[in-house]
Amino acid sequence: MDLSQYAELFLAESREHLSACNQLLLEWERHPAGLTPVSGLFRAVHTVKGMAATMGYARVTDLAHRMENLLDVQRRGAHPATDELLQLLFRARDALERAVELSVVGRERELDVAAIVADLEQAAARMAPARPGERPVPSPEPTEPEPEAAGRLVQVTLRPEAPLKGGRAVLVLKRAQALGAVHAVTPPVTAFEADEFDGRFSFRLDATAAAEQIEAALKAAGDVAHVTVGGAEAGGPAPEPGATPGDAGAVGGGPSRHIRVDLRRLDGLMDLIGELITVRGRLNQLAAERRDPAVDDVAIQVSRLSSDLQAEILQARMTPVWQVFDRFPRLVRDVARELGKQVAFRVEGKEIELDRAILDELGDPLMHLLRNAVDHGIEPPAERRRRGKPPEGEVVLTAQRERASVTITVADDGRGVDRRKILERAQREGVVDAHADALTDEQLLRVLARPGFSTAEAVTSVSGRGVGIDVAMTRIRALGGTIEIRSELGKGTTFVLRLPVTLAIVRAIMASVGPERYALPLTYVAETVEFGAVTTTMVEGREAIVLRDHVVPLVHLRRLLGVTSDRAPARAPIIVLELGDRRAGVVVDGMLGQQEIVVKGFDAPQGTLPVFSGATIMGDGVPALILDAAGLV
Amino acid sequence: MSDAGVVRLLVFRVGGLLCAAEAERVREILPRLATTRIPGAPPAVAGLVNVRGTLVTVVEGWRALRQPEPPASNGTQGGTTVLLEVGAGRKVLGFTVDEVVDLLAADAAALERRAALPGVDPTLVRAVGRRAGQLFVVLDTDALLTPILSS
Repeated sequence: MDLSQYAELFLAESREHLSACNQLLLEWERHPAGLTPVSGLFRAVHTVKGMAATMGYARVTDLAHRMENLLDVQRRGAHPATDELLQLLFRARDALERAVELSVVGRERELDVAAIVADLEQAAARMAPARPGERPVPSPEPTEPEPEAAGRLVQVTLRPEAPLKGGRAVLVLKRAQALGAVHAVTPPVTAFEADEFDGRFSFRLDATAAAEQIEAALKAAGDVAHVTVGGAEAGGPAPEPGATPGDAGAVGGGPSRHIRVDLRRLDGLMDLIGELITVRGRLNQLAAERRDPAVDDVAIQVSRLSSDLQAEILQARMTPVWQVFDRFPRLVRDVARELGKQVAFRVEGKEIELDRAILDELGDPLMHLLRNAVDHGIEPPAERRRRGKPPEGEVVLTAQRERASVTITVADDGRGVDRRKILERAQREGVVDAHADALTDEQLLRVLARPGFSTAEAVTSVSGRGVGIDVAMTRIRALGGTIEIRSELGKGTTFVLRLPVTLAIVRAIMASVGPERYALPLTYVAETVEFGAVTTTMVEGREAIVLRDHVVPLVHLRRLLGVTSDRAPARAPIIVLELGDRRAGVVVDGMLGQQEIVVKGFDAPQGTLPVFSGATIMGDGVPALILDAAGLV
Repeated sequence: MSDAGVVRLLVFRVGGLLCAAEAERVREILPRLATTRIPGAPPAVAGLVNVRGTLVTVVEGWRALRQPEPPASNGTQGGTTVLLEVGAGRKVLGFTVDEVVDLLAADAAALERRAALPGVDPTLVRAVGRRAGQLFVVLDTDALLTPILSS
């Protein structure tokens, strides 16, 4: 029996709890006298501990246990948090995160938690002035993760004839975890795999459910012969009263309306619905030819149903942005602390949803932009005071839905970009004309995004080399999004990211080139003009047209793609693409109208021209390639 | 059939060549599908096809094996596309053949380990077998098709 299939689930759930820990610690840090975050922290750490014990990750269990002890002492004593304690807890949380990440990839042995464990122990000992009658918190040996006997003793016997007893036992434990934290699994989970495992095991379960309920839930795992549920054991710490189902911090507690679905499943569904929509197109064509009201009727119904289905599947892929944003408060705090700056960080529009595939790619670019904002944007407190600003700077991360796109802004009220300085440098490095006298926002962004361009007087460890914007821009463009900058000297800088809500479906212009069809996503189409109606000129050896004083170089798709069959039409349409302040006019044979296309990837053979971002399937079932504006402009 | 030492082979004809591929690598056998040219791809690549919503790159069998172009009737209508799993990543690639001839079980040991038949690149041949008195080459489909996929 391989536990690794549960490792992924363990990791995902632990990450959620650890993310919650960060939020709670930050809240606590803002209001050190309040004790409300402590219960939540305790619960989150406790849950991680229970799950880790089930997986047999002794060091994670041990570390979580020490943290839990310290929190328990803190809570009982109702001490306000000192900065020292908070820093220790932040450190312990980070260590726990590393421990979790390493354990799931089988590198638990590389962990050294001795120092942090010792610090936690000491802190707990200092804070627990052993009041008379109070039971000292047990501190277990690191090798024995769960000697404390909290919760009810549950004994399970599997059917003697059950195959794969080890696997079944793990399934029973999973069921138990859905009811509450599981500890003291005997024999340990690692022994389930052994030949001598006879299908009998026991554990302690922190659950308030009735014995019958627990029994029924565990038997539902299958192949279970007996379950006995004992009472709560006196002596262990009282079960956490707040850990009831429905509590935000207790994932897996009680019945939930949410399930985890593998993203690949959702991708599979997207593929199928895309195909269904293609077939629907064919059905509609046939129905139109038949002129049979009965067939028409069915075609209309199929159309409606498949549209609804498509909308549902797209919806199922939607994920609220907080799943990525939640890690940023901690990031901003750490960076600000390191740089000695005071920063208030706000997040707005947490509930806005994006396609999972896009959201997953957003974390890094946003991290870079936030670091930049704190490092280059926000001034040190003294400087802010001198400029008549409050010493605490503000960084705001906002998500907003706008029709088919989502706008994400990263705004700071810091010093803004000094365009004069940048202009000088840009001229020196030949990025802009030597006689340019001002930089537009567009040009400013281009300069800032040049790999290696930095205006920071001193390169700091936090950001510094201008790498951030470069990386952010590349990523955002790869997602079919755009990035803009607005900056005012002395007032602050705002980055505006526009992203499609979903990668899977985009509006595109279909163009014909000889007998072939290509799709051009509308995102980058500025306008279309007719070739021949405007004069072409040669600019720096390239054929170009002049549109409202802008030189637009031409790209002949026939030539580029090597289409040789029949002759190009005398008057061909030009599709003008715009990417930032770069433009290109793509000369095609004809336009076949606009439509929604389902974007799909394909394994490009070697040598494939680097101008395609994917392919789609047309109404007749034949694929068409999607042209990538970034490759053409 | 699943005994060790027994391999199942899909035997097909490409031009004048009788070939076989390990059946274990064959995902599906389909009629010839409408292809979309991929600009820049090697000449052996016929293009992209739509297999129930998934895009698959198809390699023209006669070009890859340097066989004469099949008669016009075979060009776009006739023929068969065999979907093969290629390389360690088991990427799916289409391979066009003139016709599928047989599915047979062969004793792995009985496949005569020989360099090749005349007219076939020996690096693409894993073994040579015999069916109804006729020799066929067992293709090393990975060696034939992996170089066509980039990376």
